[in-house]
Amino acid sequence: MPEFNVRSDSVNVEHIMEQIRARIREKRGVDYTEAQIRELAAVKLEKFLDPRGVRSDLLDQFRKAMPAYEPPVLPNYSFESDTLFESHRGIIRFFRKLFHPLLKLFLFNPNPLIRALNIQAQLNTMYAEREAQRESSRRAMDQLYYELIHNLVLELTRNGIEVKNLKMRVESLSSRLEFNERRARALESAVVYKPSDEERPSRPSPPPAAASPHPAPPTPQPQTSSTQPPQPQPQGGVPPEGPGQRSRRRRRRRGRRGGGPVAGQFGAPGGSPQPAVNATDGSTDAGAETSAAFAAPDPTAASARQAGTGADDFGEDDGPDDDGAPDTGGGEPHGQ
Amino acid sequence: MKVAVVVQRYGTSINGGAELHARYIAERLARHGEVEVLTTCATDYVTWRNELPPGVEQVNGVSVRRFPVKHERDPQVFGRRQERVFAHRHSIGDELDWLDAEGPTTPALVDHIARHAGEYAFCLFFSYRYYHAFYGARAAADRAILVPTAERDATIGLSIFHPLFRNVRAVMYNSPEERTMIQAVSGNESVAGVVVGVGSDVPANPQPGRFRQKYNVRGPFAVYVGRIDENKGCKELFDFFEGYLQDPHGKLSLVLIGNSLLPIPQHPRIRHLGFLNDADKFDAMAAADVLFMPSYYESLSMVALEAWALGRPVLANGRCDVLKGQCIRSNAGLYYDNAQEFAETLQAIEQNRWLSGTLGRNGRQFFREHYDWPVIERKYLDVFDRIRHAPAARAIEPLPGWLDRRRQDLPAAEEVLAKLPTGPVTGHRQPDGRRWA
Repeated sequence: MPEFNVRSDSVNVEHIMEQIRARIREKRGVDYTEAQIRELAAVKLEKFLDPRGVRSDLLDQFRKAMPAYEPPVLPNYSFESDTLFESHRGIIRFFRKLFHPLLKLFLFNPNPLIRALNIQAQLNTMYAEREAQRESSRRAMDQLYYELIHNLVLELTRNGIEVKNLKMRVESLSSRLEFNERRARALESAVVYKPSDEERPSRPSPPPAAASPHPAPPTPQPQTSSTQPPQPQPQGGVPPEGPGQRSRRRRRRRGRRGGGPVAGQFGAPGGSPQPAVNATDGSTDAGAETSAAFAAPDPTAASARQAGTGADDFGEDDGPDDDGAPDTGGGEPHGQ
Repeated sequence: MKVAVVVQRYGTSINGGAELHARYIAERLARHGEVEVLTTCATDYVTWRNELPPGVEQVNGVSVRRFPVKHERDPQVFGRRQERVFAHRHSIGDELDWLDAEGPTTPALVDHIARHAGEYAFCLFFSYRYYHAFYGARAAADRAILVPTAERDATIGLSIFHPLFRNVRAVMYNSPEERTMIQAVSGNESVAGVVVGVGSDVPANPQPGRFRQKYNVRGPFAVYVGRIDENKGCKELFDFFEGYLQDPHGKLSLVLIGNSLLPIPQHPRIRHLGFLNDADKFDAMAAADVLFMPSYYESLSMVALEAWALGRPVLANGRCDVLKGQCIRSNAGLYYDNAQEFAETLQAIEQNRWLSGTLGRNGRQFFREHYDWPVIERKYLDVFDRIRHAPAARAIEPLPGWLDRRRQDLPAAEEVLAKLPTGPVTGHRQPDGRRWA
């Protein structure tokens, strides 16, 4: 920082100006909603894209501003052999011709001068005509160039606007795509645990306690895992987490802590929480995990239990869902 | 030590920037030696009409000798000649004709300087662009000190002034930007030059409450002080401020102080108070939240310095290199280039009290360091000392002869101006080790 800037610990005018300009740039970017940008773009397109609607009489005006070219009347002269001796008085003309030989003899010969001036007069006429032709052709070309540049400007403007419009459409599509991806992920995590109508009546009933190879746990646990084929386990006995698994664990915990709302959310059709059937003694327990979510196969949790490690042992995740999916539970108890 | 202060107009009622600058300097230097002001009988800088009697009088204890102007300015002739030298290829003769048309043409003043130059230790010439400075400095080149008060306009591109910058004994600049511009156009790096500026008699205890009560001003407000003129950027200021008024969060009003050459927008939050005396002006500046400085061309803004002396931040036009440079060097003001930046910077100052307060404190410190009167006086006296002991400069380059004056080989002044470096000077230190003013 330059020394003269150290007048206060916290103020540097150049830095503040940079911040202000950055803020202005940000504002420009977010001031308009997508609909507003589309509206603006549409207005511009309507305004500029139709060349007939925009300055359609430009060329006419240009022609009016530049009137048709008329070659200027330049002074010229014709010089013939007797021009030097011409006069409106006949007698003078007569004497001049009469004394012409004397002039040639005693003073100078005017014939070369007459010839030169004659040639010069012809040249002048020729150049004037040529110049007039050039000027008129140049003016015609000017109009063509003007028309060409006008069309180019129009095309450039149209292209520029089209590019801007396409950019905005790309941005809009990318944001939609992103939103749809997130939505799909959220739906996937919800659909996995939602039983279909065919599955609900044929839900396997909990097997009798004697059928289980392990003694029943102290808390009522549905022993549905025994009906599922064994799943491969990763090294170390820690199964990989699938999408939505963490939120599933949380819901399960809430259910164990007395979460009626979660049970109601995933319960039988009708939405009302159904009384749970205790897996061990067949009694009903409103606080038990009897939701349809747990009735659905959960190989990961089952395998984790088989490995002697509860799924809850992998961390009390009380933070927000990190899978990016929107919370489809909708009935989370407050204060958790 | 007797010093001559040569300026185009002089008097307590004359408030032009360079004239006020010259009066302040003359009155301050009079405390250290004898000062005589050499000036014209004119009070109007447009016509240069002789309105004051020639001869000697005392103004605030300073002897003032006035000389009559030979002819008034003819606006048509001046405009025609200015168009020629600013916009077209021209000759030195054209430039001299322009200078004569611009005025104030006072050959008697120049004759007096030529005859009595030996009586003065130094002659301080204010405003390089006028007749008195051009011919006066040539008449007393060995003791001439120039205070150019140059702005970034096409006049700086006229070639007749370049030898003037090179051949005076010293140049007292108003800002580093002015110094850079003059050095670039004339190559006068070898001439002693100091960035000085001018101080101001700011009251120690202004009374903002008195101003609010007297003029019934309530609520926070921004103030503009100076001539309300399009050339001063006021039209743009009005446009931008009207844009700011659309913002419901903005609470500032605008108070305008000074004579107006523009129609003032009719809005309840824009008030024009007209010309105020110094006490009311300083009270108003002390009561304001921020001072606007919208001018495009300034060699030094005394109003901005006064606002800083009073601890008030400044919002300046960023297209004026001098103002922008001062804001950056002092860290005491913000600047804008367009309406959005105007609104954002104004909101930043309005809504962040710490920022406003810090900018104001920085401004006060900046003023004390560089523009307090003891600092200014010391700089002048140091320059006098330096050039008194330095060898005399070579004679000023003579004007070209009759034939050379008519050679049409000089580029348009605007072309020369366009090639000069732009932007604020934000280097760390001056060559002598001091921080830039």
